[in-house]
Amino acid sequence: MKVGPSTAIGARQAQTAPVEAERPSLDESPGTDTPWLVIVWNDPINLMSFVTFVFQKLFGYSKEKATKLMLDVHHKGRAVVSSGTRERAELDVYRLQEHGLWATMEQSS
Amino acid sequence: MGHHGTVELSSPIRRRRDGRYAIRLDPNVRAVLANLAQQLPVALEARDPTTRRLFPPAYPGAAFEQAEQEYRELVDTALVNHHRKALDVLAATADADTLSEEELNDWLAAVGSLRLVFGTRLDVSEDMVPPDPEDLAAAEYGLYEFLGELQYLIIEVLAAELPERGRPDGAL
Repeated sequence: MKVGPSTAIGARQAQTAPVEAERPSLDESPGTDTPWLVIVWNDPINLMSFVTFVFQKLFGYSKEKATKLMLDVHHKGRAVVSSGTRERAELDVYRLQEHGLWATMEQSS
Repeated sequence: MGHHGTVELSSPIRRRRDGRYAIRLDPNVRAVLANLAQQLPVALEARDPTTRRLFPPAYPGAAFEQAEQEYRELVDTALVNHHRKALDVLAATADADTLSEEELNDWLAAVGSLRLVFGTRLDVSEDMVPPDPEDLAAAEYGLYEFLGELQYLIIEVLAAELPERGRPDGAL
C-alpha cells in the first residue's frame, strides 16, 4: 500500500486541531496570517539535475524557473521554493523530504 | 550539490516507443544494486545514524521544538515506508530488461537514498578530494560515484518527459 503525504497530513489536521488552539505562542507570533516559507538548503550530495527535476515534478515549475531555483540553492546556500499556510508548507516540506532534499520551513518575517 | 557524472554516447537507459524503459546494465552491476537495495531497509528500520540525511528537520531551531517533534511523529513512519517501497522495487526489478515509468521513478528514489547514505558515511563535501586508491574508503567512494552516474542517466530520460514550460498549477 502506498503511504502518501495527503493521508498523513490529513490525519494530523483531524487529530491535532484542538491542540493547536492550546498553543497560542506558536500561532500568534509573528501572526497567523504570515505565510510560511518552504526552504531548500544546499547539500553536497544531491545532483543539480536531480534538484531541478524534483522542483519541476513536484511544483509543476517550468524548466527555466526550476533551474533558477536550483542555482539559487547551489550558489546562495538556500532558496524559498514555495510558500503558503502552515499546512501547505508542511506538506511541501514532506514531499521534498520524500525526494531526499534538505527542506525546512519557517515563518516569513 | 554535486555535478553530474560522465555520460556515455549511448545511454544504457532508453525510453522505448511503447513508453517502457529499456535497461542495459552489466549483471554484476545489477547484483550490486539488488544487494544494496536489500541492505538499506535494515538500516532504515534501525534508524542507523548514517540514514539521518533521509530525515532532516522540518522546523529547525529551538523555538519550534514541539512542532518538530509532532512533525517527526507524523511523518517518520511514512518516510521510512516511502523509501522502503522504492528500495523493494529496485531489489525486485534489478534484473529486469525493461521497466515501467513508475518503476524507473522508484529506481531513481532508491538510488538517491543510497547516495545520501553513502555520502553521509563518506562525509562528502563539494570540494572533496576522492580518497586515495589504497584507502579503505576508495571502494565505497567508487560505488557512490557509480550511483551518481546511474542517477544522472535516469534523470536524463525521466526529465525529458516533463513539460518544459511547466504545468498550469506551477505558474506562480
